[in-house]
Amino acid sequence: MRRLLGVVAATAVACQAAPAPTAAPTGAPETPVRGGRVIEGTFADARTLMPMLANDGASQAVSGLIYDTLYRVDPKTGELLPNLGAWVASADGLTYTWRIAPNAVWSDGVPITGADYVTGVAAVARSAKTLRASGFEDIVGFTDYRTGKAQTITGIVVDPSDPKTFTVRFTRVFCPALTSAFGPAAGPLPAHVFDKYLAPGRGAAIDDAPENMAPPVSSGPFLFRAWKPNDEIDLDRNGAYFRGPPYLDGYVLKVVRDATAMATQLKTGEITLGPIEPTDADDVRRREDLRIYTFQEPSYTYIGWNLRSASVPALADPRVRQALAYGLDVDAVIRQALLGYGVRVYQHHLTGSWAAADVAQLRRYPYDPARAEALLRDAGFTLGGDGYYQRDGRALEIRVMTNTGNRVRETMLRMAVEQYRLIGVKITPDLVALDAMVQTLSSRSSDVPAWIIGWKLGVEPDPYGIWDSASIPDPAKRTTGYNFGAFSDPAADRVIEAARTPPSGDCRQGTRAALYRELNRILNETQPYAFAFSPITLLVAPRALRGADPGTFGAYSRIEKWWFAK
Amino acid sequence: MRTFILRRLLYAIPTLIGISIITFAIVRLSPGDPIRFFTFGVQDITAADIERLRAAYGLDKPIPLQYVDWVGRILRLDFGRSLIYNKDAGQLILELLPNTLQLAITSLVLQLVIGVPLGVVAALKRGTWTDGAIRVFGVAGHAVPAFWLGLMLILFFAVQLRWLPSQGMLTVGADVWDLPDRLKHILLPAFVLSLTGIATYSRILRTETLDVLGQDYVRTAHAKGLRERTVLFVHALRNALIPMVTALGGILAVLVGGALVIEQVFSWPGLGRFTFQAAIAKDYPVIQAGTMIASVLLVASYILRDIAYAVVDPRITVK
Repeated sequence: MRRLLGVVAATAVACQAAPAPTAAPTGAPETPVRGGRVIEGTFADARTLMPMLANDGASQAVSGLIYDTLYRVDPKTGELLPNLGAWVASADGLTYTWRIAPNAVWSDGVPITGADYVTGVAAVARSAKTLRASGFEDIVGFTDYRTGKAQTITGIVVDPSDPKTFTVRFTRVFCPALTSAFGPAAGPLPAHVFDKYLAPGRGAAIDDAPENMAPPVSSGPFLFRAWKPNDEIDLDRNGAYFRGPPYLDGYVLKVVRDATAMATQLKTGEITLGPIEPTDADDVRRREDLRIYTFQEPSYTYIGWNLRSASVPALADPRVRQALAYGLDVDAVIRQALLGYGVRVYQHHLTGSWAAADVAQLRRYPYDPARAEALLRDAGFTLGGDGYYQRDGRALEIRVMTNTGNRVRETMLRMAVEQYRLIGVKITPDLVALDAMVQTLSSRSSDVPAWIIGWKLGVEPDPYGIWDSASIPDPAKRTTGYNFGAFSDPAADRVIEAARTPPSGDCRQGTRAALYRELNRILNETQPYAFAFSPITLLVAPRALRGADPGTFGAYSRIEKWWFAK
Repeated sequence: MRTFILRRLLYAIPTLIGISIITFAIVRLSPGDPIRFFTFGVQDITAADIERLRAAYGLDKPIPLQYVDWVGRILRLDFGRSLIYNKDAGQLILELLPNTLQLAITSLVLQLVIGVPLGVVAALKRGTWTDGAIRVFGVAGHAVPAFWLGLMLILFFAVQLRWLPSQGMLTVGADVWDLPDRLKHILLPAFVLSLTGIATYSRILRTETLDVLGQDYVRTAHAKGLRERTVLFVHALRNALIPMVTALGGILAVLVGGALVIEQVFSWPGLGRFTFQAAIAKDYPVIQAGTMIASVLLVASYILRDIAYAVVDPRITVK
């Protein structure tokens, strides 16, 4: 799932470009001891602990500690690995057979079985408020169940002789199905708790179940204890966790005001895990009791160009967009806006992801004002007396929108104004509130010539919603999507589709990676975005914390093995 | 008196209706769409999904109809479900209201315990350096921004000295009845919240005490040979405190509103901070519930003030 950049994600790939890597504790092997709680700071409270309703980072993080998932994600590579279950796909790619770990039980001792997966999928089908239903629509019988035409989801069959084994059949080969239909939204959810809300005639009662806010049982490393809204969520150790009880007594998610308060509380010890701003890095690094984990965020920030802009038709010309890429000193932006804690990006998929193209094969667009101006001249522009390029009597002037209150984006916009002026392009800043920006981009993106925003990327690399021509939003046609710049390239559409629904049924990582490399090459060449940077997360914890190894694709990997040295 | 109270209660009804209309209009007419905002960036979401969500939250009807629905529900004490928490908005507000009241009442106590004696001392020591110092403190109490003072106190007492916690209401894992822990947490925010009030009350008390001390009945009391302490506490101070009722009436509501900044600075899990964050997140039901509950508190406190004023000052007659 992708989300707008909001709360700093405490996730991601160890970053080669981190300015000051931190050393792991050294010395003789230590014996883990039980005790202590991780108190993680967050800028926004969780909203729900029901996985299929969780759309924000805090809700996903906490519900993920309570409900374990069928697969887990390697925090460094994003590779899917067996977890609560292990799977086998059929040769035609249409059927997945899962077997749940024999020792996997709910915290009350009830075995976790295929019926709990059925409950998870049925909850998605019954819900009126989930945003996850589209990820399940390819399961045979899901839509009939959702619309009330069937009483069961026929495509999911639990083995009567072994309730821990189940098969799921899909109507078509859809490569992202593995992450969506078996991901966190599917649970498994405890059938003995939630089935009462899923009975025929109960409508969407599952949405308002009190257990969504206070789960009574857990399959993950921690159990729910208490939730004080806008303050903290307390979890206790789950002694029945199938990988063994965690060493930690518990986990607490604590809401803090802002980055200043976060840094303060990390220093006072009121918080024991939390991200800090680059401006606080030196101060924290000087402290002997704290350490900083640095890793690349699974996100990138960019300037999007509207290829169908009526006010700036020149943006439809790839030479103009390439000129704008050469005319922006992204490294300077990283230095100034992020104090160096960022990694330059050249493509949609993040460097380190299996879906990314080798950067050596891509155009780097180093800051080169002369080349930028040459490209503008090639595109038919001439320098006017006012210092700005013009064509057909029209100056090259672009209104760039971004949201107020985001210091990094505001700095980037300010620098873009200065740097583009040097190559004869006039930028008009357009600062608006985030909600107004979202509204504008969602409902009338054709009116926005350019914008600065970020995408947060998930484990599944399918970029359909951002780059496929079918994802150009058009309220008149009732089409939605995030292709705000109206990028449309038949070759790009072909590779996106082939990596999503291959006629051969081949969803292997290697096959898809080759297709995504081609897509990234097209994007790098045509520059529908001025791809800018991916921030580096600075995650602070006490030096006494052992076992933590956060990465781009997960902060809590093996949290049951975390412990505090005395 | 009964007629007076009834009349004040009747006056409160159009006031609250007006507030409800204004609040509803401001919230609904502000730019942005909460459903678009919540769903932005979610993969493969369709126009039908968005419409389904709008219907699920009752946002698909025309705004006037939504207002009528909302008013109908709040008359049954149903404030709707929070778009963020998917939980009863009124229940959420009522869960957090005690936290804010705890802060506001502690602050009020500090204002009275510190502000009243300071005002009296300033009046009794009129023209001395003590009077000067208290007056300077009064000016500073009004002039220093609360958020700045809060941050400075956090830096000094929490980060440097480590005497007090910087944020929150209770140490993580502490028992809810751990009174010393609660006191440690509330000290800084309550002090900062009370500063303006301390300055105000010390000034009012100084002026009123000086005024009363010059009255005939005080001179008479002195002439009767009463002790200085008796004159001050039994005759002068009692009368000097009457204008305080005006200042105190509504103070709780003002504190509840004013606590927003303090709750933000000290991450105090109260109503103000919660409503503020709901406004940022466009959680309509919570914004509306928070505003209405705070408005009811404000109107009720003004009514109580008027009643109390009529009771304590025999010169005032009510009709």
